[in-house]
Amino acid sequence: MPELDGARLTFKLVYYGPAKSGKTTNLMRLHDLVAPQLKGELMTLDTQGDRTLFFDLLPMGFVAPSGLLIKFRVFTVPGQVAHDGTRKAVLSRADGVVFVADSQITEETNNAESFRNLSDNCARVGLDFDRLPLVVQFNKRDLSPILAEDEVRQRWTGVSWPLTFATALSGTGVAETVTLLLRALFRKFDQELELSSHHGIDEAAFVAGILP
Amino acid sequence: MNEVFDRSPSLDDLLPGPERESACGHLATLIDADMALLDAAGGVVWGALEPNAVRVPLVVELEPIGHLAAAVAVAKLQAAAAILREILLTRYRFLMTSRLHVESIAADYADLLEQHAALQASEARYKDLSAELEQRVATQVKLLDERQRQLYQAENLASLGRLAAGVAHEINNPIGYVRSNLASFANYLQRFAALKARLTDTAAAWQELDIDFLLRDGTELVAESIAGIDRVARIVGDLKGFSNVDRAEEEVVDLNDNLKQVVSVLQGQLPTGVSIDAEYGELPGVLCLPGHLNQVFVNVVRNAMQAIADSNRPGTVSIRTRPVDAGVEVSVSDTGVGMTPDQRERAFDPFYTTRDVGQGTGLGLTVARDIAHAHGGRIDIDSRFGFGTTVTMFLPT
Repeated sequence: MPELDGARLTFKLVYYGPAKSGKTTNLMRLHDLVAPQLKGELMTLDTQGDRTLFFDLLPMGFVAPSGLLIKFRVFTVPGQVAHDGTRKAVLSRADGVVFVADSQITEETNNAESFRNLSDNCARVGLDFDRLPLVVQFNKRDLSPILAEDEVRQRWTGVSWPLTFATALSGTGVAETVTLLLRALFRKFDQELELSSHHGIDEAAFVAGILP
Repeated sequence: MNEVFDRSPSLDDLLPGPERESACGHLATLIDADMALLDAAGGVVWGALEPNAVRVPLVVELEPIGHLAAAVAVAKLQAAAAILREILLTRYRFLMTSRLHVESIAADYADLLEQHAALQASEARYKDLSAELEQRVATQVKLLDERQRQLYQAENLASLGRLAAGVAHEINNPIGYVRSNLASFANYLQRFAALKARLTDTAAAWQELDIDFLLRDGTELVAESIAGIDRVARIVGDLKGFSNVDRAEEEVVDLNDNLKQVVSVLQGQLPTGVSIDAEYGELPGVLCLPGHLNQVFVNVVRNAMQAIADSNRPGTVSIRTRPVDAGVEVSVSDTGVGMTPDQRERAFDPFYTTRDVGQGTGLGLTVARDIAHAHGGRIDIDSRFGFGTTVTMFLPT
């Protein structure tokens, strides 16, 4: 549930996924690509080599016509299996999740395990996985061997989550992923938080606040 | 509960009292002016606010969490604010990591508790299983015990059957010739009857009826029949002594007598080419259950007989008795097939047999050992494969 504190509404977004699937890269490109009214620095908390040990944090936001400051705090989790406690703590209180999968065929098992871990941890930290705004991103499309997009879509037929394809290293698909998540987020919370009725933001404006 | 790690920070979080005192004091010295620190709401939390002061915001994330204010050049104040911001950022990172650390430890601990509960449940399940298993083993052992006793009983009955067959064979012989003798004798008596009618020419009749032969042969027949009857009586006597297996009273006996009974009984079952050679030393009395010891001797002597029969060559079962320190020793040797080391190793195991199914129960030596132990004695086997076996028993006096 987003945190409403006076004239400030804060959403917590989490990039989840197996180790080295490109979660931090997504955030770095996001920082470069988006131009919201307010954008903080990308804060990287302690890494070991190029592996995230705690999390990364990118704050961004915009002000609604009503004067409400809408803030997004975007986190990444550490992907390595051993850091499950940290992963769980970062996932706590999340309002939306991007699952970053590694498109390489050799990573299929890791993707599946991490996705199951996401579902398990949602249950553990009290998130309703079925109603959670979630976007599944297949990253590293520039590598091979990978499954064709058609085949991936076929395999994921019947799931309710939108799928995106990205090469975060070059920035491809990064903005599209966030757009899809923002839309899902808006649809879920619009009524409850009176975003369109009281604060004068529709879905397009909600996305445009971050991606003008 | 601890603070959640991802709470948006306030000025109080990032610059608590003592640090604020020290940092602001040094900054004021650097810009060489009166300086004020204002919180997000604009209240002065350090220093004094000059009326003509300029303000510079302190932004850590997106919004200002406070301002620095001083009546100096903006550039100078901005430099001071930049230094302060670095301090705030460092403190912010530290707060987030330490709180996240606490949260993740709590999460790990919750996991451990879950695993612990699962392990406890699993342990309880195994305990139940193990208890059940113990009970099932006990039931099986009891069942096996019963079966073994039944087999032992069956073996006893079979022994008695073989014994009866041997006895019948033995008795048939003397009975046969006693019957034949008596028939002859009845015939002789008729001749004596004929003699009466012809007493007028006595000498001729005596001659013609061959009474001399009748007298001679009749005496022989009677003597032979008496010997036969005596033999029957002896066999029956042996049998009586032998078959007292169920008599549960201990008595002091001369084991030589028991062995003689056993030999006499088994003599009737000797396979072709097998003979028994017994040498009895003078023995002290032994307190025992004679019927049970007879069973032991029968088992051991019969094994010896069979071992020789199996070797397909003639041989001898040698029985020796002698007094030893604190007891007596009985040894039974054969010149039969002998045992391999493996067979020797397992000879006393229950149900171990080298014979075909239905031929041996595999209990003979087991029972023999049990009985010897019950008497405080020992039974040992010395065997050479292909040459023969010696079973030595010790029984305490």
